Amino acid sequence: MAQKKENNNNQKTKYAIIVENVSKSFKLVYDKPFTLKERLVFWNKKTTRVGKHEVLKGVSLKIKPGETVALIGVNGSGKSTLLKLMTKIIYPTSGKIIINGKLTSLLELGAGFHPDFTGRENIYFNASIFGLTAAEIDKRVGDIIEFSELGSFIDNPVRTYSSGMYMRLAFSVAINVDAEILLIDEILAVGDQHFQEKCFAKLQELKKSGKTIVIVSHALSSIKDLCDRAVWIYNGEIRMDGKTDKVVEEYLKVCG
Amino acid sequence: MIKEMINNLYSYRQLLKSNVQKEIRGKYKGSFLGVLWSFVNPLLMTLVYAIVFPLILKNTEPHYVTYLVIGILPWNYFTTVISQGTTTILGNGGILKKVYFPREIFPISVNLSGVINFLISCLVMCLFLIFSGIGFSWLIIFFPLIVLTQFIIQQAIIFITSAIDVYVRDSEYIINFFVNMLFYATPILYSADMFAGSAVEWLIKINPMAVIINAYRDIFYYQTMPDIQMLLIILVVASILFYLGLRIFRKLEKGFAEEL
Repeated sequence: MAQKKENNNNQKTKYAIIVENVSKSFKLVYDKPFTLKERLVFWNKKTTRVGKHEVLKGVSLKIKPGETVALIGVNGSGKSTLLKLMTKIIYPTSGKIIINGKLTSLLELGAGFHPDFTGRENIYFNASIFGLTAAEIDKRVGDIIEFSELGSFIDNPVRTYSSGMYMRLAFSVAINVDAEILLIDEILAVGDQHFQEKCFAKLQELKKSGKTIVIVSHALSSIKDLCDRAVWIYNGEIRMDGKTDKVVEEYLKVCG
Repeated sequence: MIKEMINNLYSYRQLLKSNVQKEIRGKYKGSFLGVLWSFVNPLLMTLVYAIVFPLILKNTEPHYVTYLVIGILPWNYFTTVISQGTTTILGNGGILKKVYFPREIFPISVNLSGVINFLISCLVMCLFLIFSGIGFSWLIIFFPLIVLTQFIIQQAIIFITSAIDVYVRDSEYIINFFVNMLFYATPILYSADMFAGSAVEWLIKINPMAVIINAYRDIFYYQTMPDIQMLLIILVVASILFYLGLRIFRKLEKGFAEEL
Protein backbone atom coordinates (compact mmCIF):
# COMPACT_ATOMS: atom_id res chain seq x y z
CA MET A 1 0.00 0.00 0.00
CA ALA A 2 2.74 2.40 1.02
CA GLN A 3 4.74 1.49 -2.04
CA LYS A 4 1.80 2.05 -4.25
CA LYS A 5 1.38 5.50 -2.83
CA GLU A 6 5.04 6.25 -3.42
CA ASN A 7 4.76 5.13 -7.01
CA ASN A 8 1.84 7.39 -7.39
CA ASN A 9 3.85 10.29 -6.04
CA ASN A 10 6.71 9.55 -8.40
CA GLN A 11 4.31 9.48 -11.24
CA LYS A 12 3.10 12.91 -10.24
CA THR A 13 6.43 14.60 -9.74
CA LYS A 14 7.73 13.31 -13.04
CA TYR A 15 5.60 15.93 -14.69
CA ALA A 16 5.57 19.66 -14.17
CA ILE A 17 1.99 20.05 -15.30
CA ILE A 18 -0.67 17.39 -15.44
CA VAL A 19 -4.02 18.19 -16.96
CA GLU A 20 -6.44 15.33 -16.41
CA ASN A 21 -9.60 15.18 -18.45
CA VAL A 22 -10.38 18.83 -17.84
CA SER A 23 -13.58 20.43 -19.00
CA LYS A 24 -14.54 24.02 -18.52
CA SER A 25 -17.80 25.67 -19.30
CA PHE A 26 -18.73 29.24 -18.77
CA LYS A 27 -22.18 30.41 -17.88
CA LEU A 28 -23.64 32.58 -20.55
CA VAL A 29 -25.88 35.02 -18.80
CA TYR A 30 -27.84 37.18 -21.17
CA ASP A 31 -28.88 39.75 -18.67
CA LYS A 32 -27.02 39.29 -15.51
CA PRO A 33 -29.19 39.60 -12.38
CA PHE A 34 -26.77 41.60 -10.34
CA THR A 35 -29.02 42.98 -7.68
CA LEU A 36 -31.12 41.27 -5.10
CA LYS A 37 -34.23 42.94 -6.46
CA GLU A 38 -33.64 41.46 -9.88
CA ARG A 39 -32.89 38.09 -8.38
CA LEU A 40 -36.12 38.14 -6.46
CA VAL A 41 -38.27 39.55 -9.22
CA PHE A 42 -36.88 37.28 -11.91
CA TRP A 43 -36.26 34.23 -9.81
CA ASN A 44 -38.48 32.06 -11.99
CA LYS A 45 -36.98 33.27 -15.24
CA LYS A 46 -33.53 32.15 -14.32
CA THR A 47 -33.53 29.06 -16.48
CA THR A 48 -34.29 30.99 -19.61
CA ARG A 49 -31.56 33.48 -19.02
CA VAL A 50 -28.62 31.22 -18.51
CA GLY A 51 -26.86 29.23 -21.17
CA LYS A 52 -23.71 27.19 -21.12
CA HIS A 53 -20.68 27.54 -23.28
CA GLU A 54 -18.28 24.66 -23.15
CA VAL A 55 -14.81 25.96 -23.85
CA LEU A 56 -12.75 22.89 -23.05
CA LYS A 57 -13.97 19.35 -23.47
CA GLY A 58 -12.06 16.66 -21.69
CA VAL A 59 -8.53 17.89 -22.31
CA SER A 60 -5.66 15.77 -21.01
CA LEU A 61 -2.09 16.91 -21.23
CA LYS A 62 1.14 16.07 -19.49
CA ILE A 63 4.13 18.35 -19.59
CA LYS A 64 7.53 17.27 -18.32
CA PRO A 65 9.90 19.59 -16.46
CA GLY A 66 12.11 21.45 -18.90
CA GLU A 67 9.77 21.10 -21.83
CA THR A 68 8.87 24.10 -23.95
CA VAL A 69 5.36 23.73 -25.24
CA ALA A 70 3.39 25.94 -27.57
CA LEU A 71 -0.38 25.98 -27.57
CA ILE A 72 -1.68 26.92 -30.98
CA GLY A 73 -5.11 27.25 -32.47
CA VAL A 74 -7.53 29.77 -33.89
CA ASN A 75 -9.16 32.42 -31.73
CA GLY A 76 -11.74 31.07 -29.34
CA SER A 77 -10.40 27.53 -29.37
CA GLY A 78 -9.72 27.54 -25.63
CA LYS A 79 -5.95 28.08 -25.46
CA SER A 80 -6.06 31.01 -23.08
CA THR A 81 -8.68 29.31 -20.94
CA LEU A 82 -6.39 26.35 -20.55
CA LEU A 83 -3.58 28.67 -19.52
CA LYS A 84 -5.80 30.43 -16.99
CA LEU A 85 -6.81 27.09 -15.55
CA MET A 86 -3.15 26.18 -15.10
CA THR A 87 -2.51 29.39 -13.13
CA LYS A 88 -5.52 28.75 -10.88
CA ILE A 89 -7.21 32.02 -11.77
CA ILE A 90 -10.21 29.98 -12.82
CA TYR A 91 -11.08 26.42 -11.86
CA PRO A 92 -12.18 23.50 -14.05
CA THR A 93 -15.81 22.44 -14.18
CA SER A 94 -14.62 18.87 -14.08
CA GLY A 95 -11.25 17.15 -14.14
CA LYS A 96 -8.05 17.93 -12.31
CA ILE A 97 -4.94 20.01 -12.78
CA ILE A 98 -1.75 19.27 -10.88
CA ILE A 99 1.19 21.66 -10.88
CA ASN A 100 4.59 20.70 -9.50
CA GLY A 101 6.82 23.67 -8.92
CA LYS A 102 6.66 27.42 -8.58
CA LEU A 103 4.62 28.92 -11.34
CA THR A 104 4.55 32.38 -12.85
CA SER A 105 2.18 33.55 -15.48
CA LEU A 106 2.35 36.42 -17.90
CA LEU A 107 -1.23 36.53 -19.02
CA GLU A 108 -1.36 40.24 -19.16
CA LEU A 109 1.65 42.45 -18.75
CA GLY A 110 1.63 44.94 -15.97
CA ALA A 111 -1.38 43.49 -14.18
CA GLY A 112 -1.37 45.18 -10.82
CA PHE A 113 0.86 48.10 -11.68
CA HIS A 114 -0.07 51.09 -9.64
CA PRO A 115 0.04 54.18 -11.86
CA ASP A 116 1.08 56.59 -9.10
CA PHE A 117 3.96 54.48 -7.88
CA THR A 118 7.37 54.77 -9.46
CA GLY A 119 8.77 52.05 -11.67
CA ARG A 120 10.97 50.88 -8.84
CA GLU A 121 8.09 50.67 -6.34
CA ASN A 122 6.06 48.80 -8.91
CA ILE A 123 8.86 46.27 -9.33
CA TYR A 124 8.55 45.52 -5.64
CA PHE A 125 4.79 45.39 -5.68
CA ASN A 126 4.53 43.32 -8.84
CA ALA A 127 7.22 40.87 -7.80
CA SER A 128 5.52 40.44 -4.44
CA ILE A 129 2.35 39.39 -6.27
CA PHE A 130 4.44 36.59 -7.74
CA GLY A 131 5.31 35.58 -4.19
CA LEU A 132 8.80 37.03 -3.74
CA THR A 133 10.05 38.43 -0.46
CA ALA A 134 11.70 41.83 -0.10
CA ALA A 135 15.17 40.30 0.19
CA GLU A 136 14.65 38.25 -2.96
CA ILE A 137 13.48 41.30 -4.84
CA ASP A 138 16.45 43.33 -3.60
CA LYS A 139 18.75 40.81 -5.23
CA ARG A 140 16.97 41.01 -8.56
CA VAL A 141 16.04 44.65 -8.80
CA GLY A 142 19.30 45.56 -10.55
CA ASP A 143 18.81 42.90 -13.20
CA ILE A 144 15.22 43.90 -13.73
CA ILE A 145 16.04 47.57 -14.24
CA GLU A 146 18.91 46.73 -16.54
CA PHE A 147 16.80 44.39 -18.61
CA SER A 148 13.99 46.93 -18.94
CA GLU A 149 16.45 49.56 -20.28
CA LEU A 150 14.45 52.24 -18.51
CA GLY A 151 17.51 53.91 -17.02
CA SER A 152 16.68 56.98 -14.94
CA PHE A 153 12.97 56.73 -15.78
CA ILE A 154 12.72 53.95 -13.23
CA ASP A 155 12.14 56.51 -10.48
CA ASN A 156 9.30 58.24 -12.30
CA PRO A 157 5.66 57.29 -11.73
CA VAL A 158 4.49 54.59 -14.09
CA ARG A 159 1.64 56.75 -15.39
CA THR A 160 4.20 58.93 -17.14
CA TYR A 161 5.55 55.98 -19.13
CA SER A 162 4.88 55.32 -22.78
CA SER A 163 3.11 52.04 -23.48
CA GLY A 164 6.35 50.54 -24.72
CA MET A 165 8.18 51.43 -21.53
CA TYR A 166 5.32 50.04 -19.49
CA MET A 167 5.44 46.73 -21.32
CA ARG A 168 9.20 46.51 -21.05
CA LEU A 169 9.10 46.99 -17.30
CA ALA A 170 6.32 44.44 -16.87
CA PHE A 171 8.09 41.84 -18.96
CA SER A 172 11.37 42.41 -17.13
CA VAL A 173 9.74 41.79 -13.78
CA ALA A 174 7.90 38.67 -14.85
CA ILE A 175 10.88 37.12 -16.56
CA ASN A 176 13.18 37.67 -13.59
CA VAL A 177 10.94 36.10 -10.99
CA ASP A 178 12.77 32.81 -11.26
CA ALA A 179 9.84 30.46 -11.41
CA GLU A 180 10.21 26.87 -12.49
CA ILE A 181 7.18 27.03 -14.72
CA LEU A 182 6.43 29.98 -16.94
CA LEU A 183 3.09 30.46 -18.65
CA ILE A 184 3.02 33.09 -21.35
CA ASP A 185 0.02 34.35 -23.26
CA GLU A 186 0.72 36.09 -26.54
CA ILE A 187 3.31 38.54 -25.44
CA LEU A 188 6.21 37.86 -27.73
CA ALA A 189 5.22 41.09 -29.41
CA VAL A 190 6.58 43.36 -26.71
CA GLY A 191 8.27 46.61 -27.64
CA ASP A 192 10.39 47.29 -30.70
CA GLN A 193 12.41 44.87 -32.80
CA HIS A 194 15.42 45.18 -30.55
CA PHE A 195 13.52 44.46 -27.35
CA GLN A 196 11.60 41.59 -28.95
CA GLU A 197 14.85 39.94 -29.88
CA LYS A 198 16.10 40.45 -26.37
CA CYS A 199 12.98 38.84 -24.89
CA PHE A 200 13.32 35.98 -27.28
CA ALA A 201 16.94 35.47 -26.31
CA LYS A 202 15.94 35.56 -22.66
CA LEU A 203 13.33 32.89 -23.24
CA GLN A 204 15.92 30.75 -25.00
CA GLU A 205 18.19 31.21 -22.02
CA LEU A 206 15.42 30.21 -19.58
CA LYS A 207 14.73 27.19 -21.72
CA LYS A 208 18.38 26.15 -21.57
CA SER A 209 18.39 26.52 -17.81
CA GLY A 210 15.69 23.89 -17.61
CA LYS A 211 12.54 25.90 -17.03
CA THR A 212 9.21 24.60 -18.16
CA ILE A 213 7.60 27.05 -20.54
CA VAL A 214 4.10 27.02 -21.97
CA ILE A 215 3.34 29.65 -24.60
CA VAL A 216 0.15 30.62 -26.34
CA SER A 217 1.02 32.37 -29.54
CA HIS A 218 0.12 33.01 -33.14
CA ALA A 219 3.69 33.91 -34.07
CA LEU A 220 4.36 30.53 -35.64
CA SER A 221 7.89 31.25 -36.80
CA SER A 222 9.16 32.18 -33.37
CA ILE A 223 7.36 29.21 -31.87
CA LYS A 224 9.19 26.93 -34.25
CA ASP A 225 12.50 28.32 -33.03
CA LEU A 226 11.66 28.15 -29.37
CA CYS A 227 9.42 25.19 -28.69
CA ASP A 228 10.11 21.47 -28.94
CA ARG A 229 6.52 20.51 -28.73
CA ALA A 230 3.29 21.99 -29.92
CA VAL A 231 -0.27 21.24 -28.98
CA TRP A 232 -2.98 22.21 -31.40
CA ILE A 233 -6.26 22.96 -29.71
CA TYR A 234 -9.32 23.00 -31.86
CA ASN A 235 -12.80 23.67 -30.52
CA GLY A 236 -11.87 22.83 -26.97
CA GLU A 237 -10.19 19.55 -27.78
CA ILE A 238 -6.62 18.57 -28.52
CA ARG A 239 -6.42 17.95 -32.23
CA MET A 240 -2.73 17.22 -32.46
CA ASP A 241 0.19 16.96 -30.10
CA GLY A 242 3.77 16.42 -31.16
CA LYS A 243 6.91 17.97 -32.63
CA THR A 244 6.43 21.65 -33.33
CA ASP A 245 7.32 21.46 -37.05
CA LYS A 246 4.82 18.75 -37.78
CA VAL A 247 1.99 20.25 -35.79
CA VAL A 248 2.52 23.70 -37.28
CA GLU A 249 2.69 22.26 -40.77
CA GLU A 250 -0.58 20.41 -40.28
CA TYR A 251 -2.15 23.44 -38.63
CA LEU A 252 -1.23 25.65 -41.57
CA LYS A 253 -2.71 23.16 -44.00
CA VAL A 254 -6.07 23.38 -42.30
CA CYS A 255 -6.20 26.90 -41.01
CA GLY A 256 -3.70 28.74 -43.22
CA MET B 1 -7.28 24.60 5.84
CA ILE B 2 -5.98 26.99 8.49
CA LYS B 3 -2.50 25.60 7.94
CA GLU B 4 -2.78 26.18 4.23
CA MET B 5 -3.79 29.78 4.89
CA ILE B 6 -0.84 30.35 7.19
CA ASN B 7 1.54 28.86 4.65
CA ASN B 8 0.08 31.10 1.98
CA LEU B 9 0.44 34.15 4.14
CA TYR B 10 4.01 33.26 4.97
CA SER B 11 5.15 32.76 1.40
CA TYR B 12 3.30 35.86 0.23
CA ARG B 13 4.29 37.96 3.25
CA GLN B 14 5.82 40.67 1.09
CA LEU B 15 2.54 41.10 -0.80
CA LEU B 16 0.64 41.21 2.46
CA LYS B 17 3.01 43.82 3.79
CA SER B 18 2.86 46.08 0.77
CA ASN B 19 -0.89 45.69 0.64
CA VAL B 20 -1.28 46.78 4.23
CA GLN B 21 1.02 49.73 3.57
CA LYS B 22 -0.95 50.67 0.49
CA GLU B 23 -4.15 50.45 2.47
CA ILE B 24 -2.88 52.71 5.24
CA ARG B 25 -1.08 55.23 3.07
CA GLY B 26 -3.54 55.13 0.21
CA LYS B 27 -6.55 55.83 2.40
CA TYR B 28 -5.74 59.45 3.02
CA LYS B 29 -3.74 59.96 -0.12
CA GLY B 30 -3.88 63.52 -1.37
CA SER B 31 -5.31 64.92 1.86
CA PHE B 32 -3.39 67.55 3.78
CA LEU B 33 -3.48 65.86 7.16
CA GLY B 34 -2.73 62.37 5.86
CA VAL B 35 -2.58 59.68 8.51
CA LEU B 36 -3.45 62.32 11.11
CA TRP B 37 -7.05 61.75 10.02
CA SER B 38 -6.92 58.52 12.00
CA PHE B 39 -6.81 60.73 15.07
CA VAL B 40 -8.91 63.62 13.92
CA ASN B 41 -11.83 61.59 12.62
CA PRO B 42 -12.75 59.78 15.86
CA LEU B 43 -12.05 62.98 17.78
CA LEU B 44 -14.56 64.90 15.70
CA MET B 45 -17.06 62.11 16.11
CA THR B 46 -16.52 62.18 19.85
CA LEU B 47 -16.92 65.94 19.87
CA VAL B 48 -20.30 65.75 18.13
CA TYR B 49 -21.62 63.10 20.48
CA ALA B 50 -20.19 64.82 23.52
CA ILE B 51 -22.06 68.00 22.61
CA VAL B 52 -25.32 66.46 21.44
CA PHE B 53 -25.84 63.48 23.66
CA PRO B 54 -25.83 65.01 27.12
CA LEU B 55 -28.65 67.24 25.87
CA ILE B 56 -30.83 64.23 25.08
CA LEU B 57 -29.85 61.86 27.81
CA LYS B 58 -29.19 62.55 31.40
CA ASN B 59 -25.54 61.75 31.50
CA THR B 60 -24.30 59.93 34.54
CA GLU B 61 -20.69 59.27 33.61
CA PRO B 62 -18.23 61.59 35.35
CA HIS B 63 -15.76 61.68 32.48
CA TYR B 64 -18.18 61.39 29.62
CA VAL B 65 -15.75 62.38 26.84
CA THR B 66 -13.20 59.78 27.90
CA TYR B 67 -16.02 57.30 28.25
CA LEU B 68 -17.09 58.09 24.68
CA VAL B 69 -13.60 57.85 23.20
CA ILE B 70 -13.09 54.38 24.64
CA GLY B 71 -16.29 53.23 22.94
CA ILE B 72 -15.91 55.07 19.67
CA LEU B 73 -12.37 54.03 18.76
CA PRO B 74 -13.00 50.26 18.72
CA TRP B 75 -16.34 50.85 17.06
CA ASN B 76 -14.66 52.90 14.35
CA TYR B 77 -12.21 50.06 13.81
CA PHE B 78 -15.13 47.66 13.50
CA THR B 79 -17.14 49.68 10.97
CA THR B 80 -14.11 50.59 8.86
CA VAL B 81 -13.04 46.98 8.55
CA ILE B 82 -16.54 45.67 7.84
CA SER B 83 -17.36 48.24 5.18
CA GLN B 84 -13.95 48.18 3.47
CA GLY B 85 -13.62 44.45 3.87
CA THR B 86 -16.93 43.71 2.23
CA THR B 87 -15.95 45.47 -0.99
CA THR B 88 -12.30 44.51 -1.05
CA ILE B 89 -12.57 41.61 -3.49
CA LEU B 90 -14.83 43.56 -5.81
CA GLY B 91 -12.54 46.58 -5.67
CA ASN B 92 -9.48 44.55 -6.55
CA GLY B 93 -11.21 42.68 -9.34
CA GLY B 94 -8.84 43.92 -12.02
CA ILE B 95 -5.82 42.24 -10.51
CA LEU B 96 -7.66 39.12 -9.34
CA LYS B 97 -8.57 38.32 -12.90
CA LYS B 98 -5.04 38.44 -14.17
CA VAL B 99 -2.68 37.00 -11.61
CA TYR B 100 -2.90 34.15 -9.16
CA PHE B 101 -2.07 34.69 -5.52
CA PRO B 102 -3.90 33.64 -2.37
CA ARG B 103 -7.11 35.60 -2.47
CA GLU B 104 -7.47 35.80 1.30
CA ILE B 105 -4.63 38.33 1.26
CA PHE B 106 -7.15 41.08 0.53
CA PRO B 107 -9.62 40.64 3.41
CA ILE B 108 -6.77 39.93 5.81
CA SER B 109 -4.86 43.05 4.87
CA VAL B 110 -7.98 45.17 5.37
CA ASN B 111 -8.27 43.86 8.90
CA LEU B 112 -4.55 44.23 9.56
CA SER B 113 -4.39 47.80 8.35
CA GLY B 114 -7.49 48.45 10.44
CA VAL B 115 -5.92 47.10 13.60
CA ILE B 116 -2.78 49.15 13.01
CA ASN B 117 -4.87 52.26 12.59
CA PHE B 118 -6.80 51.39 15.72
CA LEU B 119 -3.67 50.90 17.79
CA ILE B 120 -2.32 54.23 16.59
CA SER B 121 -5.58 55.93 17.48
CA CYS B 122 -5.38 54.39 20.94
CA LEU B 123 -2.71 57.00 21.66
CA VAL B 124 -5.56 59.52 21.72
CA MET B 125 -7.35 57.36 24.23
CA CYS B 126 -4.24 57.28 26.41
CA LEU B 127 -4.09 61.08 26.36
CA PHE B 128 -7.69 61.26 27.52
CA LEU B 129 -7.04 58.75 30.28
CA ILE B 130 -4.06 60.72 31.48
CA PHE B 131 -5.64 64.18 31.35
CA SER B 132 -8.92 63.12 32.90
CA GLY B 133 -6.95 61.77 35.84
CA ILE B 134 -8.22 58.21 35.41
CA GLY B 135 -4.80 56.81 34.61
CA PHE B 136 -3.97 53.17 33.97
CA SER B 137 -4.23 49.98 35.93
CA TRP B 138 -2.63 46.54 35.61
CA LEU B 139 -5.84 45.38 33.92
CA ILE B 140 -4.34 46.72 30.70
CA ILE B 141 -2.79 43.26 30.27
CA PHE B 142 -6.19 42.07 29.03
CA PHE B 143 -6.05 44.53 26.15
CA PRO B 144 -4.38 42.09 23.69
CA LEU B 145 -7.03 39.45 24.43
CA ILE B 146 -9.86 41.87 23.66
CA VAL B 147 -8.20 43.13 20.47
CA LEU B 148 -7.60 39.55 19.36
CA THR B 149 -11.23 38.64 19.92
CA GLN B 150 -12.37 41.65 17.95
CA PHE B 151 -9.88 40.88 15.18
CA ILE B 152 -11.10 37.32 14.76
CA ILE B 153 -14.78 38.25 14.73
CA GLN B 154 -14.15 40.85 12.06
CA GLN B 155 -12.03 38.51 9.99
CA ALA B 156 -14.76 35.88 10.09
CA ILE B 157 -17.38 38.39 9.01
CA ILE B 158 -15.43 39.85 6.11
CA PHE B 159 -14.31 36.46 4.82
CA ILE B 160 -17.98 35.77 4.28
CA THR B 161 -19.19 39.19 3.19
CA SER B 162 -16.31 39.93 0.81
CA ALA B 163 -16.93 36.64 -1.01
CA ILE B 164 -20.70 37.01 -1.15
CA ASP B 165 -20.47 40.61 -2.33
CA VAL B 166 -18.90 39.37 -5.56
CA TYR B 167 -22.03 37.38 -6.36
CA VAL B 168 -24.72 39.57 -4.83
CA ARG B 169 -23.66 43.17 -4.99
CA ASP B 170 -26.38 44.38 -2.69
CA SER B 171 -24.61 42.81 0.25
CA GLU B 172 -22.56 45.89 0.93
CA TYR B 173 -25.68 48.05 1.39
CA ILE B 174 -27.45 45.46 3.48
CA ILE B 175 -24.40 45.06 5.66
CA ASN B 176 -23.96 48.80 6.06
CA PHE B 177 -27.52 48.96 7.25
CA PHE B 178 -26.94 46.25 9.83
CA VAL B 179 -23.78 47.91 11.03
CA ASN B 180 -25.67 51.16 11.48
CA MET B 181 -28.34 49.38 13.44
CA LEU B 182 -25.80 47.57 15.55
CA PHE B 183 -24.42 50.94 16.56
CA TYR B 184 -27.56 51.57 18.59
CA ALA B 185 -27.56 48.07 20.05
CA THR B 186 -24.05 48.61 21.34
CA PRO B 187 -23.36 50.67 24.44
CA ILE B 188 -21.16 53.29 22.84
CA LEU B 189 -23.00 56.49 23.62
CA TYR B 190 -24.78 55.16 26.64
CA SER B 191 -24.03 52.67 29.35
CA ALA B 192 -25.34 49.14 29.20
CA ASP B 193 -26.72 49.51 32.73
CA MET B 194 -29.38 51.83 31.42
CA PHE B 195 -31.14 48.85 29.91
CA ALA B 196 -30.88 46.62 32.94
CA GLY B 197 -34.21 44.91 33.46
CA SER B 198 -35.74 46.17 30.21
CA ALA B 199 -37.02 44.12 27.28
CA VAL B 200 -34.00 44.75 25.09
CA GLU B 201 -31.41 43.80 27.68
CA TRP B 202 -30.83 40.40 26.05
CA LEU B 203 -29.95 42.16 22.79
CA ILE B 204 -26.99 43.81 24.43
CA LYS B 205 -26.03 40.64 26.24
CA ILE B 206 -25.69 38.57 23.07
CA ASN B 207 -24.19 41.35 20.97
CA PRO B 208 -20.51 40.46 20.74
CA MET B 209 -19.52 44.04 20.02
CA ALA B 210 -21.27 45.10 23.22
CA VAL B 211 -19.25 42.57 25.18
CA ILE B 212 -16.05 43.75 23.54
CA ILE B 213 -16.70 47.43 24.09
CA ASN B 214 -17.74 46.77 27.68
CA ALA B 215 -14.49 44.92 28.16
CA TYR B 216 -12.47 47.87 26.84
CA ARG B 217 -14.39 50.13 29.22
CA ASP B 218 -13.82 47.77 32.13
CA ILE B 219 -10.07 47.72 31.77
CA PHE B 220 -9.56 51.38 30.90
CA TYR B 221 -12.43 53.35 32.36
CA TYR B 222 -13.93 51.49 35.31
CA GLN B 223 -10.70 49.61 35.96
CA THR B 224 -12.51 46.51 37.08
CA MET B 225 -12.11 42.95 36.00
CA PRO B 226 -13.65 42.46 32.54
CA ASP B 227 -16.13 39.62 31.98
CA ILE B 228 -13.43 37.10 31.04
CA GLN B 229 -15.85 34.20 30.82
CA MET B 230 -18.04 35.97 28.30
CA LEU B 231 -14.97 37.15 26.36
CA LEU B 232 -13.66 33.61 26.12
CA ILE B 233 -17.03 32.32 24.96
CA ILE B 234 -17.04 34.94 22.24
CA LEU B 235 -13.47 34.11 21.32
CA VAL B 236 -14.39 30.46 20.87
CA VAL B 237 -17.51 31.27 18.86
CA ALA B 238 -15.50 33.74 16.79
CA SER B 239 -12.86 31.10 16.07
CA ILE B 240 -15.48 28.65 14.88
CA LEU B 241 -17.01 31.37 12.76
CA PHE B 242 -13.54 32.17 11.43
CA TYR B 243 -13.11 28.60 10.30
CA LEU B 244 -16.53 28.54 8.69
CA GLY B 245 -15.87 31.91 7.07
CA LEU B 246 -12.65 30.63 5.58
CA ARG B 247 -14.45 27.56 4.25
CA ILE B 248 -17.10 29.69 2.61
CA PHE B 249 -14.41 31.94 1.19
CA ARG B 250 -12.51 28.93 -0.20
CA LYS B 251 -15.64 27.65 -1.84
CA LEU B 252 -16.67 30.95 -3.37
CA GLU B 253 -13.20 32.14 -4.41
CA LYS B 254 -13.15 29.65 -7.26
CA GLY B 255 -15.69 31.71 -9.13
CA PHE B 256 -14.23 35.16 -8.42
CA ALA B 257 -12.44 35.61 -11.74
CA GLU B 258 -15.55 34.66 -13.69
CA GLU B 259 -17.98 36.77 -11.72
CA LEU B 260 -15.95 39.94 -11.54
